[in-house]
Amino acid sequence: MRIDAVLLAAIMFLASCRNGSRPAENINDGTITSKYAASHFRIDDYKGYRRLVITNPWQNTSGTELVYYLVNRDTQLPDTVSEASVIRVPVQRVICMSTTHTAMLRALDAAETIVGISGTGLVYDSIILDAVNRGRISDIGYESNLDKELVVSLKPDLLIAYGVGASSAEYLRKLEEMGVKVMYNADYLEEHPLARCEWIRVFGLLTGKEALADSLFREVSTAYLSLAEMVRANVKEHPDVLLGAPWEGVWYVAPANSYIGRLISDAGGKYLFDDLSETNSVPFSVEAVFRRATEADIWINPGTAGSLDDIAAADHRMTKLPVYKAGNIWNNRNRMTSSGGNDYWESAVVRPDLLLQDIVCIIHPGLIPDHKQLYYRKLK
Amino acid sequence: MSAKPSLQSQRLIIIALFLLMSVLLAVDLLIGSTRLEAGDVLRSLFGQGTPHGEIIVMQFRLPKALTAIIAGAAMSVSGLLMQTLFRNPLAGPDVLGVSSGAGLGVALTVLTITPLFSFKPGSPLQGWSLILAAWAGAGAVMMIIMAVSARVRDIMTVLIVGLLLASAISAVVSLLQYFSNEATLKTYVIWTMGNLGNMSYTQIRTLALAVLAGMLVAFIMVKPLNAMLMGENFSRTVGVDLKRTRIILLASASILAGSVTAFCGPLAFIGVAVPHITRIILGTTDHRALMPGVAICGAVILLISDIISTLPGGGQIIPVNTVTSLIGIPVVMWIILGRAGLGRKF
Repeated sequence: MRIDAVLLAAIMFLASCRNGSRPAENINDGTITSKYAASHFRIDDYKGYRRLVITNPWQNTSGTELVYYLVNRDTQLPDTVSEASVIRVPVQRVICMSTTHTAMLRALDAAETIVGISGTGLVYDSIILDAVNRGRISDIGYESNLDKELVVSLKPDLLIAYGVGASSAEYLRKLEEMGVKVMYNADYLEEHPLARCEWIRVFGLLTGKEALADSLFREVSTAYLSLAEMVRANVKEHPDVLLGAPWEGVWYVAPANSYIGRLISDAGGKYLFDDLSETNSVPFSVEAVFRRATEADIWINPGTAGSLDDIAAADHRMTKLPVYKAGNIWNNRNRMTSSGGNDYWESAVVRPDLLLQDIVCIIHPGLIPDHKQLYYRKLK
Repeated sequence: MSAKPSLQSQRLIIIALFLLMSVLLAVDLLIGSTRLEAGDVLRSLFGQGTPHGEIIVMQFRLPKALTAIIAGAAMSVSGLLMQTLFRNPLAGPDVLGVSSGAGLGVALTVLTITPLFSFKPGSPLQGWSLILAAWAGAGAVMMIIMAVSARVRDIMTVLIVGLLLASAISAVVSLLQYFSNEATLKTYVIWTMGNLGNMSYTQIRTLALAVLAGMLVAFIMVKPLNAMLMGENFSRTVGVDLKRTRIILLASASILAGSVTAFCGPLAFIGVAVPHITRIILGTTDHRALMPGVAICGAVILLISDIISTLPGGGQIIPVNTVTSLIGIPVVMWIILGRAGLGRKF
């Protein structure tokens, strides 16, 4: 009990001195100097407008830059700027291709701007789902299977897309030809949870809620970094953490620098594959992962498994793992809808600080007193 | 006629192939995607190894190697039956749509919201839903083919119906893929890449039983198969009941290929390539020698593919299907280009 009180005091102390003491990680309004800064976008200030540069918006590309000029609705267009790359802000009718986009708009209290979503079945947020049910938000379909006519008829100011490669660029190009303004969002390529969260600043610019977005991001960053610092200061042992699940003899292993890899290390765990420096997941044989997994103390994100039986059914050999026998397996499916919407891919992207709390408490139970899991659930 | 010495040399070759298979089995057990001392592997086989070594050898490597042998033999024999039955060098287990049927079953289970078979968590059947779905799909196609075969005289009609059916099923699978999202799509695509290493001993036993049944029928049919090589008229004159033989052969080939596909996914090319390779090695088209030769040769090729698939090292793997295709395609090309007279044997 007393240790808890000391910890709490330590957290509060750290939180209070965080803002001033570490300028290297401070998040300014203009230029971002944090070592966790988003690396796939950049905002330049110009007189009368903003220039948003999205770099390398899909995997396996380098040197690709997409430039958008964000110009206020009632401002005259500067001569130097071509109409094609202009996004008039604040946007009023938006189509989102990913739940991370809807989550950011929700966090900014701008859900009413959403008129279309790709795959409404994957949405978790009840307010957005309600709008879907009332018909105010339409489901525009998936990727190359988009209902292009519906997209056009929704008269969107902007369609926020994510790119997975040249093939996705193809259907987006078609939409652009049909007069739809398309912006690429590369949030999912950001490796650090804070960098992914920083994309809320882009949404702030788009919706005219810049100040709110910046302050939200600053708060989340502070909370996240101070929690990570608290963990670093108080944790001596780093339990081994296993990630993912086998499927049909293959185990896609996330690299150390991945989103979840960073969360594990910030939460004071040791990721079993922290020597994997690839940029994408790597297919491993189950045998190889099993060998390492025998060391695991904790197993998180075991694919779609909802119970220990599910894991046994996917690969019966997993039942031989010490971590399975100990039952210390957690999945990120605590907040899900029946149709597959998972808040882990939604609000957690905006609140990595809360997500980190969950993972800290999985890896170091008791470090945060009376913590109630938000995104995670222990398998039974 | 120098039939006797050649029969003897064929026997020797088959024994040599069997020895090669045994050596490859040992290699497959010794070389895995993680390092394990040879001594530990050996001790593990007899239950005396280190705990981890034992799990890796007994739960990972041995089932995978056994599956490779069973699946390789079954697909190859199935291919041989198809080639003789249709007297077509390009026939294989997949021409009848059996593999596509299995794929449809899996696609219906993986890509749709309500799976074809789903079992309560904890039920002993939970790991079987894909297998049963694939089996059901393959079985359904087999029934259609047999029904057609019982009705028409011309065997080529059956072949064409099989090909058409396979195309139609592929179209349905494409449609399902088109309407599914990336994550489930990946699940399906991984299944199509084939996998030898996910089976429990219960599943291996089940597969072995099904394959044994199919093989038994195939081996019994050796004489009618030899007669069929001489043409349908010749077969009739020596007293082969063509319609009955045909249906029995189709059933055998479908059970072999369908079961393997259900458990391991569609294993490409083994079925087409191995009969050709074996014919060249043995220098004969006599099914008495071919049947065991093809079975062992199929096991050898799949074992080699499995060993190669773990070669990238560091625990990374390449799908076994891509390996068999990469071995199989050059071999078939070499045969087609190098032996202009291939077609004459049918």
